Amino acid sequence: MIQEIYTKVLAGESDGVRSAVQKALDEGIKPSKIINDALIKAMDEVGARMKSGEMYVPEVLIAAEAMKAGLGLVKPLLEGEAYAVGKVVIGTVAGDLHDIGKNLVTMLLESSGFEVIDLGVDASAEVFLEAAGKHKPQIVGLSALLTTTMASMEATVKALREKAPGIKTMIGGAPVSQQFADEIGAGGYAPDGASAVDLAKKLIQ
Amino acid sequence: MSKVFQQYQGGSNKVFPGDKVKEIHEASVHLMEKVGVKVHNPRARQIFADHGAQVDHGEAIVKIPRSMLEDAVAAAPSRVLLCGREEKNDLVLEGTNTYLGTGGTVLYTLDLDTGERRPTEVRDVAGYAKMTDALENVAFFVINCYPQDVATEDVDVNRFYHSFANTSKHVMGGIYTMEGLKDVIRLSEEIAGGKANLLARPFVSFITLIMSPLVMEVTYTDFLMEIVRYGLPLTTPAEPLAGATAPVTLAGTVTINNVESLAGLVLAQLIRKGHPTLYGTTSSIMDMVTGTYMAGAIESALINAGCAQMAQYYEIPIYATGGMSDSKIPDCQAGYESAATAMIVALAGANYIHDAFGLLEFCTTLSYEKMVIDNEIVGMALRAVRGIEVNEETIAADIIAEVGPGGNFLAHRHTAGHVRKEFFFPRVADRQMRRDWEASGSADTAARAKVMAEEILREHRPLGFAEDLEALLRKNYAGIK
Ligand code: B12
Repeated sequence: MIQEIYTKVLAGESDGVRSAVQKALDEGIKPSKIINDALIKAMDEVGARMKSGEMYVPEVLIAAEAMKAGLGLVKPLLEGEAYAVGKVVIGTVAGDLHDIGKNLVTMLLESSGFEVIDLGVDASAEVFLEAAGKHKPQIVGLSALLTTTMASMEATVKALREKAPGIKTMIGGAPVSQQFADEIGAGGYAPDGASAVDLAKKLIQ
Repeated sequence: MSKVFQQYQGGSNKVFPGDKVKEIHEASVHLMEKVGVKVHNPRARQIFADHGAQVDHGEAIVKIPRSMLEDAVAAAPSRVLLCGREEKNDLVLEGTNTYLGTGGTVLYTLDLDTGERRPTEVRDVAGYAKMTDALENVAFFVINCYPQDVATEDVDVNRFYHSFANTSKHVMGGIYTMEGLKDVIRLSEEIAGGKANLLARPFVSFITLIMSPLVMEVTYTDFLMEIVRYGLPLTTPAEPLAGATAPVTLAGTVTINNVESLAGLVLAQLIRKGHPTLYGTTSSIMDMVTGTYMAGAIESALINAGCAQMAQYYEIPIYATGGMSDSKIPDCQAGYESAATAMIVALAGANYIHDAFGLLEFCTTLSYEKMVIDNEIVGMALRAVRGIEVNEETIAADIIAEVGPGGNFLAHRHTAGHVRKEFFFPRVADRQMRRDWEASGSADTAARAKVMAEEILREHRPLGFAEDLEALLRKNYAGIK
């Protein structure tokens, strides 16, 4: 059954995943095993296939959808066990309205098992700080696509470092670079969605 | 010398038949009436409401009735004059008149000396404006880079000042702050000698934006309203990316673009009937392997050509996009992507095709060499747009009879008389025999273009400003570098 769930996730068949997960639960397979050995493992494979260009972005997102359909059945049975790999608060910084990249990163993080709280666009340092306090994520992700808003990114990262020092920051967006991340003291930089997932995984270790 | 900039009639390329234009129009009306547009700007929402649109202020949704759209389309001028600071550079946007020019707002350029990618500076705004001035196929300057060597609050005024100083062709640009917009308008008035002169001969115009899918946000909508109230020409482009912020089907992307651009146009016409508003698109696709925006995709050209057909149906001039590449250097990919996309959109008769010069790498990097190469690509595209002129003189039956079987036409007066008009004469392309090419250093395309770019930057003298005007402008705007 584990194998079947795995295959159905790769095929992006939500209904198929749901019924396979139900069967697995009926057979007495432990929820945590279903999550780790079938659902998350399938998404790891999806990630690898995306990187190699075998799977296209929309196919990846449909597989993620199927994964979440399965997850929805198993999650309530977890009895307090944390299911998510980690928690991320993400947003586009003040003054910036670009969100396509941030949304893509969000979807890919979610499909790799992260719980993601999305603050939308034009989010000020205060909004980030408040969300960080409320949701207590391990990571805060910031996106900026304009040179003019890289300053808000810097200010927000600074505020987070001062007021929420336990939380790691990661940044991205077309004008942003590793060098800029180093300059402003961000925890990490990733140039695209797939490496953003790798980075997030590295940051929570 | 003709009074206005050289004119070409596009429009031979149709990417869908005429009855499909109607189908897209009807779908657009349906979407405007039933789904509506999210207008985050409360002032704009109120204008829509005051004129009878169905507005839900809580959800920020504005539903535009058919009659309101029809009135706006009827009110919007079918002919928009975008002037140069010299009359010979005036552009008449109407019908299928086709012009190509620059575009971008990029952050990087390939350095002409080192070939390395470096941040753009004020000298690049000036440099690319100067190249625009000198290259014969560049019809206008959409300010194509962001100077990273001046303070944020001085960016707008520097972008426009150095553009005006280096080209007398039409200048269009995006703005970053309301203060900046006001500065630029004041600066333009000072150059024109007052508001009346500026509005009579608008040598500057602006770009605001609609966010796909179906959103008008706060800041840019404020810019839009400010510009319309003032009266300078404006475009309100949408940039739906097929597969990401629009349906993956190109017809769906054209449809959503149509709704968005028209929504901006409706707002402009509600504020000021008859305002010179251009229909606008910068649409393209998202690459499904890397998840990034693509600039040189063939589908982008098809969407833009489709939008041109829509704009022609509404008889509103269009600001469109073509001629970019995603290559990182001015290489073979840069050439074929730029050529294919520029050609398709130009043949569709889009009036004001921006982004067609010098752009590389997903619209993030400029190249001086590529700008020279694109001047040639656009020259070829415009030659294609011109098509084949057919009349007694060009069919030349009498000349064929005169030369007769087995003769030749090389030395005939008819050949000498027509060759300059019939043939396109490339300047970058190498047409020498191999021996001569080798003797002249075996330079490749980019290397030949580099020499030409260097020469323009060194030798070209743009109109510029009279000394006292320059002094006045610099005194009034201390931020000018
Ligand atoms: C689409 C687009 C728009 C759309 C945005 C729609 C939307 N919903 O987001 C619209 C039309 C609204 C728009 C508006 C503007 N834009 Co714009 N836009 C683009 C464009 C073409 C593509 C951006 C994009 O979505 N790419 C696709 C996504 C998937 O890629 P991405 O965002 O880079 O994200 C990836 C990575 O960066 C990374 N990543 C992103 N975020 C994060 C976050 C974290 C935590 C991590 C780890 C990684 C990460 O992973 C993502 C997935 O792989 C770029 C050009 C470009 N090539 O980038 C210009 C660009 C960013 N825009 C630009 C400009 C100038 C503007 C405007 C100012 C234009 C104007 N007319 O005034 C306005 C500004 C509006 C504002 N205040 O924000 C310039 C910026 C230059 C500058 N000076 O800074 C660019 C570079 C284009 C250009 N060369 O002119 N734009």
